[in-house]
Amino acid sequence: MKLPAKKNKILIIIVIGILLVLSLNFFQKETKGFFYVISAPIQITFWSAGDRVSGFFEAVGNLSNLQNENDELQKVIRELLVEKASSAELKKENETLRGALQIGLQKDFQLALVEIISKDIGQESILINQGSGDGLSLGMPVVTQERVLLGRISEVFESFSRVTLISNKESSFDAKVSGNDTTGVARGQGNSKIKFELVPQDKPLKVDDLVVSSSLGGIYPEGLLAGTVKKVERNDVSPFYQAEILPLFDIRGSAAVFVILNFTND
Amino acid sequence: MIKRVLIILTAFYLLALLQTSFFVHFRLWGIFPNFILILTLLINVFEKPQKNTGIFAGFIGGFLLDIFSSNLIGFYTLILLTLSFLIKIIFRKYVRAPAW
Repeated sequence: MKLPAKKNKILIIIVIGILLVLSLNFFQKETKGFFYVISAPIQITFWSAGDRVSGFFEAVGNLSNLQNENDELQKVIRELLVEKASSAELKKENETLRGALQIGLQKDFQLALVEIISKDIGQESILINQGSGDGLSLGMPVVTQERVLLGRISEVFESFSRVTLISNKESSFDAKVSGNDTTGVARGQGNSKIKFELVPQDKPLKVDDLVVSSSLGGIYPEGLLAGTVKKVERNDVSPFYQAEILPLFDIRGSAAVFVILNFTND
Repeated sequence: MIKRVLIILTAFYLLALLQTSFFVHFRLWGIFPNFILILTLLINVFEKPQKNTGIFAGFIGGFLLDIFSSNLIGFYTLILLTLSFLIKIIFRKYVRAPAW
């Protein structure tokens, strides 16, 4: 059966279009890099606008909790005033140590300050505004000022880089519980979820434990904050058990982050 | 025709930028909606079955989804094109709506 001429023409156009699009994969970096360059100024504006608007709605949504939060804070202030009166020297030493911790990140690592431009559609990865031209390369970890781990660079363009978040399904790294010797593997589950797997049955793990990166696998430096334990899942039959981790990072409100330049995995 | 093409290109491009940079700060019940997919489906469903704008919208929408994701170029393009074609075939052969 011969197709009408118009339908023939449309089909030919579509087939040529598909072949052109597929052939762009040979120039994937250049093509995507071109779009990122022209889109970056607009995306940066949209990112900061989205941050402000979502912050406003979050505040409005929390209005009902403000009175309770206020009462709690007043109580805490009274307790702190009592502590201050009785331990002035300890408080001063605490403040000095807190100040030292705030510059701890810069003391331990060589850092590059970058901005988040966008989050990938359907993927747990983000785009940052520096690339190979700025000295970034594959595998470099990305963290916040508070040493919270976001992920690592998985694709590098000339002026941009893609960062695979630790909640990405393709992400897994050695981790441990801060304060004890419980180790395991933190594996991304997508949708901002992480599982802490392969935890030996004889090792302790409870809700609210802080999970940090371990240098064992060489993927991330030691001690970067990954998340807190949300739910422990035990199975008496298996030699290991696992837990759900709530990631500490939140890309909303994290416009500026740091790339660790002097650490790459082999 | 050219005017329609330009409108679709501009609309989808802006939507892609908004989706990746603005709407990521908002979650609906823990998920980020894919507005490009939704718009493509809406165009295909609500335009006349004889028109082909929806297929072009599927192509552009898919291409932009590929650009702003870490997938190979062509992944979402083929998916949205196929969806657009399927909707067109179903509406041309099996569905009759009073508005058309």
